[in-house]
Amino acid sequence: MLSVDVSNGLHKELEALALRNKARAIGVALHDFETGFRFSLRGDRWFHAASTIKVAVLLALFRAADEGRFRLDDSLHVRNRFFSAADGSLFRVSQDRDATPELYSTIGRTAKISTLAHAMICGSSNLATNLLLDFAGVEYARTVLQKAQIDGVELRRGVEDHGAHERGINNEATADGLLDLLSAIRGDFLKPESKRDVIRILLEQRFNSMIPAGLPAHATVAHKTGEISTACHDIGIVYLPEREPYIVSILTEFDPEREGRRETVAAISAAIYRSLVGTEPKANED
Amino acid sequence: MRTEFLRPIDGLHLPEEYRALLRPGESAFGLDGTAHRLPRFFFEIRSWEEAREIRLAPHFTLAELMLVDCRETRVLLSQFPHYVPCAILLLARFLEDFRREVDAPVFISANGGYRSPAHQIGGAKSIHAWGTAANIYRVGDTFLSDAKPNEKYRAVAASLSPAVFVRPFGREKGQTSDHLHIDLGYASLTPRECSEAG
Repeated sequence: MLSVDVSNGLHKELEALALRNKARAIGVALHDFETGFRFSLRGDRWFHAASTIKVAVLLALFRAADEGRFRLDDSLHVRNRFFSAADGSLFRVSQDRDATPELYSTIGRTAKISTLAHAMICGSSNLATNLLLDFAGVEYARTVLQKAQIDGVELRRGVEDHGAHERGINNEATADGLLDLLSAIRGDFLKPESKRDVIRILLEQRFNSMIPAGLPAHATVAHKTGEISTACHDIGIVYLPEREPYIVSILTEFDPEREGRRETVAAISAAIYRSLVGTEPKANED
Repeated sequence: MRTEFLRPIDGLHLPEEYRALLRPGESAFGLDGTAHRLPRFFFEIRSWEEAREIRLAPHFTLAELMLVDCRETRVLLSQFPHYVPCAILLLARFLEDFRREVDAPVFISANGGYRSPAHQIGGAKSIHAWGTAANIYRVGDTFLSDAKPNEKYRAVAASLSPAVFVRPFGREKGQTSDHLHIDLGYASLTPRECSEAG
């Protein structure tokens, strides 16, 4: 099939999917390393980045380590005390909303930077994210994104900064931008060892109900999800043993707390797989 | 109490690499503009195992009072020997009194005991560089991140000696919001076997 046909077919299928599932908006970007095929559906539309922004923090962190600013096995003081990007007022992140409650038992003591990086991605820990971003610095992280030529990711603050949110200071991203971010990770922006470690962390993701749910069981995905009341995203590198990987970013926006959001992302993932591989994914095959 | 590992040394006799970081006996200006001499006499610590073995007071090991994170300069973070001002003994003594008063374990935070003048937090402007300050983040099972427990233990600490300063709870400059800062002022200790001549 010609890539233009694939592109048209996928475009129509994803639009229909979004309509059927009552998504307010979707943005999808894709790069297939097997064929070189690229696809973008509203790839330049800005979305609230939710927790996908943590991948940008991860990139900055490993870049800083590559530059010798610190070592990943260095220890960092764990404290739940952060300052709002809006007015510098103090805020804390909520343990109830964090998937890594064990990290809270280390408050007051230290944790290794590598452990925090793992918690930030695999358990989507907000505490770990803010600690790491605080340490590396928002400005530094923005510079890293600039150096990596990633235009579609706006990192402005840590997470759970409600004061900043109320003033419209949010982390935002486009599907194309997040695709560039994953491309930088898979490319040579980081040292080989850092690249390997970053991908390993993304492969150990604990939340697998979106991109992986739309794929056959033998697929492995280095990915990061992101969910807030209106946004539901997943971005990742999909590895299939029979072919070269592809990178995909799927961003969606819904009315607050609408049901079936993750299923929509999984269905988009399945549609992309079908369009690239030409067969139906069998999620539970042996 | 195990203190046989404690070896006092004159900081002025340390190798240049350490003197540049610890600045023994040098004048430094605090945040309020007052000038003070940085500690000159230190205990030399050869390993973490040794720091954990050294009990400065019945309930406080040296390791608890010298735990820092990677904001400390590389040489002083990961390379032994480490050097800790001798006045750390006075701090441990005070903390023991405080512990007895509250009748519960007292936890000192990372970066909350001795920090060198080269540490990224405060540096030589911080009284932590004298080894006479401690940040207590937990007493028993209570974390000191709320006003009520913080103020309660603040009153206890302040009642123990007029030499003790405790920062008030709050979110403004000079206040603390997730720990209790106590200090004994810019105290220095010269071990009896050390000479201040030269």
